[in-house]
Amino acid sequence: MSVTAKEPEKIRIQKNFDQIAWMAMRYSGVLLIPLAFGHMILQDVVVGVHQITTDYAVERMATLGWKLYDIFLLAFAFGHGMNGVRQVFRDYIHNPRSFRIVSSILFVVWLVISVIGAITLLAINPAMGR
Amino acid sequence: MQIKLRVFRFDPEKDQKPRFDTFFMDVDPNDRVLDLLEYVKADFDSSLALRRSCAHGICGSDAMRINGRNYLACKVLVKNLHSDQITVEPLLGLRVIKDLIVDMEPFFENYRSVLPYLINDEALPEDGKERLQTPEERDRFEDTTKCILCAACTTSCPSFWSDERYVGPAAIVNAHRFIFDSRDRAAERRLNILNQQIGVWRCRTAFNCTEACPREIHITTAIAEVKQAILSGKV
Repeated sequence: MSVTAKEPEKIRIQKNFDQIAWMAMRYSGVLLIPLAFGHMILQDVVVGVHQITTDYAVERMATLGWKLYDIFLLAFAFGHGMNGVRQVFRDYIHNPRSFRIVSSILFVVWLVISVIGAITLLAINPAMGR
Repeated sequence: MQIKLRVFRFDPEKDQKPRFDTFFMDVDPNDRVLDLLEYVKADFDSSLALRRSCAHGICGSDAMRINGRNYLACKVLVKNLHSDQITVEPLLGLRVIKDLIVDMEPFFENYRSVLPYLINDEALPEDGKERLQTPEERDRFEDTTKCILCAACTTSCPSFWSDERYVGPAAIVNAHRFIFDSRDRAAERRLNILNQQIGVWRCRTAFNCTEACPREIHITTAIAEVKQAILSGKV
């Protein structure tokens, strides 16, 4: 008797926040590899820590590309970390309502710090420092 | 060889808090830890409480913490512990009933929650006999059929220690066994059950479960496959 394999089954899964948070952790982690290593190699190897002066920082921040690079680095690194902190809190806060409140606070802290950082980086005007 | 055996003791009817009893004994390096506990029970203190049944690594009754790691007491030999001091404790994360016996009900409640049985309400095949599958379809879940529900994996998991409502690796392994079975028709229900805060997303990939499994099931891989099925919507 011959047996044929069943066609793959398509199933409907309801999206939820934990699934999205898990994916965000993976995506931000993958993005951090080029962002953080790029930052480290540039600052510590290509330029060298002893050559990082105010002039160098001003010159670098004159480029919109580097500003965006640093904004992404801040947002993803901080978001990745805050998501990790949220998971740690999850071990200690078992009440769903309390956990939702803590998660919301962490999200607001991440958003506020990232926006302040982005505004600060975008507002840097090299001409003002000269 | 001479060994020092420390055994966790706690009788809630008599003791205010747990203690360790120490026994010095001459043992054969090829003795199993279960043999040592049997010596203690037979020769030193018959009140020692522990679970064991087949004593050959099949029934899964005698999972316990031995020198800080979960093992089946009937599968681990003294010589393989590489120490002349052996400490035996009950599984972590579950209430101690007495000595080395823990309350397994939260573990089995989580197990039952993932519907760990074949569900297929379709009509039987024309010959009215078996629902056949190809060898490849059978291989898809071969590894997860090996679970003996000893709880060594779930009670080694830090996420379970912090919250016993987390279904735990054993329940996910047993869900995997049916989710990827071509004869089953309830993958969607199981995946939606596991797609929760206390489901697969509580797994932090610590790998403790994989290291603890006495059946050498690739548990973390199975959990990753379930996560992938949830994300892709395909089994």
